[in-house]
Amino acid sequence: MSETLAVAADLLDLLTDTGTEPRADRQLDALTLAVTADLPVLLWGEPGIGKTAALTQLAASLDLPLTTVIASVHEPTDFSGLPVIGADPAVQGVPMAPPDWAVRLVQAGRGLLFLDELSTAPPAVQAALLRLVLERRVGALRLPPGVRIVAAANPRASAADGWELSAPLANRFVHLTWTYDQDVVVRGLGGTWPLATLPRLDPARLPAAVAYARRGVCALLTARPALIHQVPKSELRRGVAWPSPRSWDMALRLIAFAAAADTSREVLSMLVRGVVGDGPGLELLASLDRIDLPDPEDLLADPAGAVLPERGDLRQAVLDGVVAAVRQRLERSRWDAAWALLVRALETGAPDLVVVPATTLAALRRDDWPLPAELDRLAGAVTIARRAQQVAAGADR
Amino acid sequence: MNLDEEKLYAARLHATRARPYLAAALYALLPVACTRVPTMAVDRHWRCYVSPAFVAATPLEELAGAWVHEVSHLLRDHHSRSDRYAKRTSLTGPAERLRMNIAADLEINDDVYGDGLTAPAGTAQPERLTLPRDLLMEEYLGMFRLGPYTDDLSWLDCGSGADGAARVWDLGPDGAHGLSDQERDAVRFRVAEGITGQPGAAPQGWRRWAEEVFHPPQPWRELLGDAVRAAASGPGAGNDYTHGRPSRRAAALPGVVLPALRRRQPRVSVLIDTSGSVSDAELGSALLEVTAIGQAIGGRRDTVTVRSCDAAAGVAYPLCRAAGIPLTGGGGTDLREGFTAALAVRPRPDVLVVLTDGQTPWPQAQPPCRTVVGLFPRPTAINEDHGYVPESPPQWARVVHIG
Repeated sequence: MSETLAVAADLLDLLTDTGTEPRADRQLDALTLAVTADLPVLLWGEPGIGKTAALTQLAASLDLPLTTVIASVHEPTDFSGLPVIGADPAVQGVPMAPPDWAVRLVQAGRGLLFLDELSTAPPAVQAALLRLVLERRVGALRLPPGVRIVAAANPRASAADGWELSAPLANRFVHLTWTYDQDVVVRGLGGTWPLATLPRLDPARLPAAVAYARRGVCALLTARPALIHQVPKSELRRGVAWPSPRSWDMALRLIAFAAAADTSREVLSMLVRGVVGDGPGLELLASLDRIDLPDPEDLLADPAGAVLPERGDLRQAVLDGVVAAVRQRLERSRWDAAWALLVRALETGAPDLVVVPATTLAALRRDDWPLPAELDRLAGAVTIARRAQQVAAGADR
Repeated sequence: MNLDEEKLYAARLHATRARPYLAAALYALLPVACTRVPTMAVDRHWRCYVSPAFVAATPLEELAGAWVHEVSHLLRDHHSRSDRYAKRTSLTGPAERLRMNIAADLEINDDVYGDGLTAPAGTAQPERLTLPRDLLMEEYLGMFRLGPYTDDLSWLDCGSGADGAARVWDLGPDGAHGLSDQERDAVRFRVAEGITGQPGAAPQGWRRWAEEVFHPPQPWRELLGDAVRAAASGPGAGNDYTHGRPSRRAAALPGVVLPALRRRQPRVSVLIDTSGSVSDAELGSALLEVTAIGQAIGGRRDTVTVRSCDAAAGVAYPLCRAAGIPLTGGGGTDLREGFTAALAVRPRPDVLVVLTDGQTPWPQAQPPCRTVVGLFPRPTAINEDHGYVPESPPQWARVVHIG
């Protein structure tokens, strides 16, 4: 009998002996970046989808000890501290004693705290978790900066007896939806799981990254003050990310980290939308896209060396910006530079993009300015404009 | 045969002038000359494969229409929707993909053409299949099969961007200036933003798309279920910690009163008030949904009671009898009387679920329990003559729009 069990143990060892490989996995990248940025992450996923496995793996690759706390089986006092009465409570007060896992985390100075089953925790426990997640306090203890917090929850529909996450708690997390990727699962069951690689932060880019993040967030919130604070009201948005000054601050930190680590836009998109919600997140990314476009004044200063974006819609936005800049401060030299830019755009990309800016620019001409020398090089655009015009006239008839 | 780029770009220019709200999306498309494509096709990475022969043979107006048509497939995310439909119904054969392409065309063609863009002969239009207009692709998919009506549509091929199935000519996700997921979302978001910013410029179908593209409507069953579940399990009902009973841990800490987890059966009271205008099927499914959730939370059948106003008794009675739910008839014809009657019961309900069409006055004061309102769409024709505008449900109730 014992022999069978020994052989079974060998077999189990063989089964658990799996390798890892570096692999582009967006949700793992997003999780790693948020953990690096020291923001609490909340993973939403159906039961059994591999949230816990991903966490174990992340802890191993970050070399952090993993402490798992199942929130739903704990009492509020486990997070706010257990009152312990001393000899003279009236003088000494009642100290709130922290549970053993918190003490061990503080002694280690570092670790990954994993709060599982968050959505099935009763409301009173969720309220007690607020302080742990935001202020990192458990009773009288303060968790050291080296401790990172990740939580997991099942979506409302799949948790039979789930509570919805209260809006204040939801606002403190980076929400990531955990789904499975067929390739990752198949390859993982074949013995090789993806390896979580730490983002490589470039020390030389830190100040620029902070400036970039501040500019992006401030530009958006100056233009759209309504986005600063929106407590979820409708049924749809309860228990998920929503914008508030706190979550904008988190978004700013994520953008700075993503810029310093040169993370892809997809990963940043997941993170930002998980912090401020889908709509505001998309607006923020659109605002960052605008910042990424070349500055019209730079282009006008050096039209010969200008690099225009390849994508048609971005190129059109840049050309419109250039014409608007010329219109704002109309000078002969700037007007000529804009024509040179249009020629450059025509030579390197689709000609129809040039038509509207060229028409606007031509209308800006002062009477004493000669026609630009580049005009005959724009012939391609002119023919296209004429053909489209003919069709439009035909349609009007 | 060389691609007549000049004609192709002139057509795009014409298209952006006819549909200025789609300009950003049209410019984001990358045209790729390809002789294997029958006409014009798109892939999910926003590349537009164009057959040179098609460009040469097609008049410029129709070519502009084709540009708008193809970009509509991408804006409306037809490839992901087709994939989801295929996954849900496990129908993935080539014939099914053709059906998806036709359904996708039916969805977009009603607002693509007209106003300077002419439809080529033989486009898929709902009328040809004797189907109603203004429906979604998923709705059309359930309404027709391939048959004699669709025979002359079988040449349709708008590429993998329309129906999700990979094509031989697709360039794949990497390189060749394909748009990534995030870039695609950004373009669609910009177009939607432009349409909602200037709603006068775009037709109804596109305005609806812009409203819903990043805020998809959720099924009311889930929302109603969530609302009832949340109301029944909030503080005061269901599981929670209270100081009403000492904790079992208190033995370890003499002199300290710790709260204990206490479970109380939440009592759900359902109030039905409809003027008979709500379809029986919808009212029935809402009622069964609510009572099923109430019983699941309470763990007992008798934790749910249903009270019906006179007008709706005819619908509610057989349903309740079949499901074994106690039904109390006659709360009066006014919802306020119904509230009073429901709250007069002892022990008092923890959750009050009101299923109503909203044509009723509401109580002035907030009742001492959580209230969820399932609001049925009200028929518009009745009120127009009298100028009577029903009150909207009060702030203290969680409102779920049904249907």
